[in-house]
Amino acid sequence: MGRIFRQIERHVGLFGAYFAQYAKVRVAYRGDFFITLGTSFAATLFSFGFVYFLFQRISYLAAWDKYEVFFLYGFSLIPFGLFNVLSLNLYEFGSTYIMEGKFDRVLLRPISSLFQVLFETFRIESFQEVVTGLVVVLWSARMLSYRWHALDVLLLAVFALCGAVIYISVFLFLSTFSFWFEDRIGVHPPFWNLIAFGRYPLSIYSGYIQFLLSWIIPFGFATFYPSARLLGHAEFRAYAPLVPLIAVATFAVAATSWRLGLRRYSSTGS
Amino acid sequence: MSADPLISVRSLSKHFRTFERREGIVGGLINLFHREYRIVKAVDNITFSIGRGDMVGYIGPNGAGKSTTIKMLTGILVPTSGEILSNGFVPWRQRAAYVKTIGVVFGQRTQLWWDIAVIESFKLLRRIYDVSQRDFDERMELFDQVLGLRAFLHTPVRKLSLGQRMRCDLAAALLHNPPILFLDEPTIGLDVVAKDHIRQFLRAINERYKTTVLLTTHDLDDIEQLCRRIMIIDRGALLYDGPLAGLKERLLRTKQIKFILRDGEQAPRLAAFEHSLSASAQNGLLHLERLDEMTCRLRFDRSSVSTSDLIRRILAAVEVRDFVIEDEPIEEIVKRIYSGEVFAAPPGPQP
Repeated sequence: MGRIFRQIERHVGLFGAYFAQYAKVRVAYRGDFFITLGTSFAATLFSFGFVYFLFQRISYLAAWDKYEVFFLYGFSLIPFGLFNVLSLNLYEFGSTYIMEGKFDRVLLRPISSLFQVLFETFRIESFQEVVTGLVVVLWSARMLSYRWHALDVLLLAVFALCGAVIYISVFLFLSTFSFWFEDRIGVHPPFWNLIAFGRYPLSIYSGYIQFLLSWIIPFGFATFYPSARLLGHAEFRAYAPLVPLIAVATFAVAATSWRLGLRRYSSTGS
Repeated sequence: MSADPLISVRSLSKHFRTFERREGIVGGLINLFHREYRIVKAVDNITFSIGRGDMVGYIGPNGAGKSTTIKMLTGILVPTSGEILSNGFVPWRQRAAYVKTIGVVFGQRTQLWWDIAVIESFKLLRRIYDVSQRDFDERMELFDQVLGLRAFLHTPVRKLSLGQRMRCDLAAALLHNPPILFLDEPTIGLDVVAKDHIRQFLRAINERYKTTVLLTTHDLDDIEQLCRRIMIIDRGALLYDGPLAGLKERLLRTKQIKFILRDGEQAPRLAAFEHSLSASAQNGLLHLERLDEMTCRLRFDRSSVSTSDLIRRILAAVEVRDFVIEDEPIEEIVKRIYSGEVFAAPPGPQP
């Protein structure tokens, strides 16, 4: 038990050290940082602005009040932002790590290879999405005269973390394909576009798409079901307790695929 | 070699399955649907062991299997068959524990963080390898003495020259004082001074910490200056494993005598000498070259002509101001090995 704690302590410390390393690079290019922060914020603002103006003429969507839709949209930005902070290496995994051979160096260090790939770089400007998302959630909650209880705040935090884990796991799983197939672009783009589906009430989609977003690529559990629970939509209440389970399950699938990929890599080296 | 080797490798093989890539767009399309696989024996049944504190040179032409061997020794690749026991570990089975006890430098790639000052990379590596602050300071001191790191510790890695970067990479690989150091072409692309720096450093580390070093290189000066032992691999098979001196003894075929004529009046006598040489050159190589007006080089097969005999003949024929007798450069020997001229059959017992 003590050993596990020491391991956790060591990895938390290393995470801090890796992040500090990244931060030093970003500080070294200060102008660059502010520009990327600005573009990132503008992108979030424009995509939310589109939804906002669209709903100036629509008051309800599938029995959801427009401010509930904004709440959902805002909440979806929180796990998404956390995911974006960490996901940069997942897209580049196939090309820089596998094809250009950076992965050999990862294997020569006495830390978990997955830990290194996830935390060797960040995209800190995406943290603005978490903040923007929170602001939108608070604003739309006010418009809905939402009353925050301590449990709601706790649930929001847990849901957001689980959502980030779901996103990371799905894209990590897709990245592990690079262990088997050489392809610089990777298989991420179509799944990336699927994320947007989770920003609206699932009830507007056909049964197939609802099934897909719940049980195959469970983005619904990252955004929709948590928001439905927070907003008290009774018909989706049963799904809320599944959120952490789905997060653990998707991560387990991704981690298993990673392990198989490692085995494959160590037998072929490519 | 000591009785208890630090690294022992037995019947090690690594076979890859690859397919023939067809050329062109049509070929590429065919590739998508139909592939003909074949087995490439990158490393084929090699056996060797390395004792504590040894420095061993590992050479071979491109694609001979050097890197594959290093990758198996460092735990990156799992062998198809055979065994490795290195510093008490089976590398690929106990990877995380094992890599703490080795240092690795790939000459072509850096393990440092590209955009920030060198010292920051060292600090992070200190945490990764759990090196105490005291040990860290002590080693940095030594590295600075031999490698002169201080001058560029605060420079971003991307602004370093290749030689400076290589010095930093070496220091980074040795920060946790590993008993074993693997170097894959550590002097590639470096100028003479930088190469000398690296070699001096490796000698100092080897003396001070008894670090065992296995290095691959294309620069035979590295080997001559650092290693008493050399292993040659080609097409996956180990062709030679033994002392460098032994390789010369066994394979040195030609020698050359360079001599400088006393004056211009020697020309007709030299021509006569040349004529007499070509008459007696039936058995083996005996070749005279005029390097310039005064300097001549005579290459000969040392198995068919004795050196002293030749010198006597030269002295009898022409008046000579100076003499140099040289062995065939080691490069020439290695070139002959790679071209398959020697060791065409597996090396038998030494004569």
